[in-house]
Amino acid sequence: MYAWDFAALKPYWGLIWQGLGVTVFYTVITVIAGLAIGLAAGILRTTAPRWVTIPLRGYIEVFRCTPLLVQLVWVYYALPVLIGVDMSAATACFLTLSLYAGSFYAEIFRGGIEAIDRGQWEAGQAIGMQQSKIFRRIILPQAVQVMIPALINQTIMQLKNTSLVSTVAVGDLLYQGSVITAASYRPLEVYTTIAVLYFVVLFPLTLVADQLEQRMGAHR
Amino acid sequence: MSQESLKENPILAAENIQKAFGDNKVLKGVSLSVARGEVVTLIGASGSGKSTFLRCLNLLEMPQHGALAIGRHRFAFGEGQCGPDRAQLALLRRDVGMVFQHFNLFPHMSVLDNVIEGPVQVKNMAKAEAREFGRDLLAKVGLADKADSFPGKLSGGQKQRVAIARALAMKPDVMLFDEVTSALDPELVSEVLAVIRNLVSEGMTMILVTHEMAFAADVSTRVGFMSEGVMAEIGAAADVIGRPQNPRLAAFLSRFHRAAV
Repeated sequence: MYAWDFAALKPYWGLIWQGLGVTVFYTVITVIAGLAIGLAAGILRTTAPRWVTIPLRGYIEVFRCTPLLVQLVWVYYALPVLIGVDMSAATACFLTLSLYAGSFYAEIFRGGIEAIDRGQWEAGQAIGMQQSKIFRRIILPQAVQVMIPALINQTIMQLKNTSLVSTVAVGDLLYQGSVITAASYRPLEVYTTIAVLYFVVLFPLTLVADQLEQRMGAHR
Repeated sequence: MSQESLKENPILAAENIQKAFGDNKVLKGVSLSVARGEVVTLIGASGSGKSTFLRCLNLLEMPQHGALAIGRHRFAFGEGQCGPDRAQLALLRRDVGMVFQHFNLFPHMSVLDNVIEGPVQVKNMAKAEAREFGRDLLAKVGLADKADSFPGKLSGGQKQRVAIARALAMKPDVMLFDEVTSALDPELVSEVLAVIRNLVSEGMTMILVTHEMAFAADVSTRVGFMSEGVMAEIGAAADVIGRPQNPRLAAFLSRFHRAAV
C-alpha cells in the first residue's frame, strides 16, 4: 500500500498558489476576449453578407477542428517564423486561447440567436422598432437564456484547457505541478492536489450555473 | 354614402401588388383600396395569397411590383425603384398595427411591458405615462389584472388579446389581423372576436384574414375572396358570402357550410 505524504508538499505551496493564480488569470482574460470575439463573430454570422460570413466560417472551423495543443504549438513556434515577429509564450497562449474560445462561443451565440422564432423579429418590426433595437431588446435577451448552459460549459472547458499552456513553459498550475514533482519526487501527492484544486475551483461554478439557469427561466 | 365616394380618399391603397417566392407566384397583381373606418375581410383557401397580401400591407413581405399608399406613406415597387429604407419601413409600421396568428408576444417581458414596448422604445413616451396608457389598453381588452403576469402564464385567448393591446398601443391608423383565431382552442375564439368587434364599433379601420365566416359576414363592410393570387371577388359581405357569383367562391363557401354542419 502506498504511503501518502502530503506534508512533503509543504515547501511548495507558494508555487502551487502562484500556478493557480496564473491558471485563473489566463481563464479570465481569455474568456473575456473569447466572449467578445464570439459575440461579434456570432452576430456577424447571422446578419452579415456572404463575403463576411464565409471567412468567419473559415476561422471558426479551423479553430474548432484542430486540437488546441496543435494550435498552441503552431502559434508559438510556426507563426513567428512566418510573420517574422517574435512572440512570447504568454502572448502566444493568450492569442490562441482567446481565438479558440471565440470560435466555440461564436457558434453558441449564432445557435442561440437563430433559435429565436422569426415571429419575434416580425413582432418587433410590426410595432416600428429598428432592427438593431429588436436585436438588443427582444432577440438577445431571449437568446442568452437559451445559451447560458452552453456558455458556462464552454467556460469550464476553457479553465481546464489552460493546462495546455504548460507545454510552452507558461507557469500555470499544471506546469508548477511538474516542476514540484521533479524537485520532490512525489507525483501522486502533487497531481492529486492539483486535480483537487481544479475541481474546487470549477465545481462551485457549475452550481452557480445551475442557479442562474433556473432563475433566468423562472417566468417561462 | 356610396362605397365609391368613401373610397375617393382612401386611407390605404394597394395597387397591382405582385409577389413571388422563387418560381411560385403568390400574388399576381392584387389591388385594394380601403376607406377610413372600413372593415375589410379577406377569405380564401390556404395558399390563395391572402396572408401574403396582408403582410405586404405593412411590408413584412416586400412586393416585387406595384404601389402602396397608407396615410402619408407612399411606396412603389418594381424595376427602377430603390425600395424603402429601414427608417421608412419603421415609420410605416408605427401607423399600421398587426396581430399575428401565433401571437408573437415577447416571452421575457411582462404583459404590461409587452404593451408599452412600442410607445416607450419607438415613440419615446415617458415610462410612467406609458404604464398608465398600457393599463388602460389592458383594461380595454379585459386583462387589467394580468399586467404583471408573463405571457407564458396566459391562455391563448388572453395572449391574443395582449397582442391586440400591444398593436393598439401604437395608435395605428389601420389594423391588420392575420388569422388571429386560427391557433386558438374553439372555446377561446369568442373572447378574441369580442375584442375585435369592440374595435369595429369604435370605427377602427381594419383588414382581417380569417376563416370565421359568420363573424366576417357580421362585421365586414366588404369581403374579398382571394384565389390563386388574385382578388377573385370583392363586395358587400351579404353579396360575396350570401350570393357568390364566382364558381370557385361558391365551392369554397360550400365546403365551409358542410364543415359547419
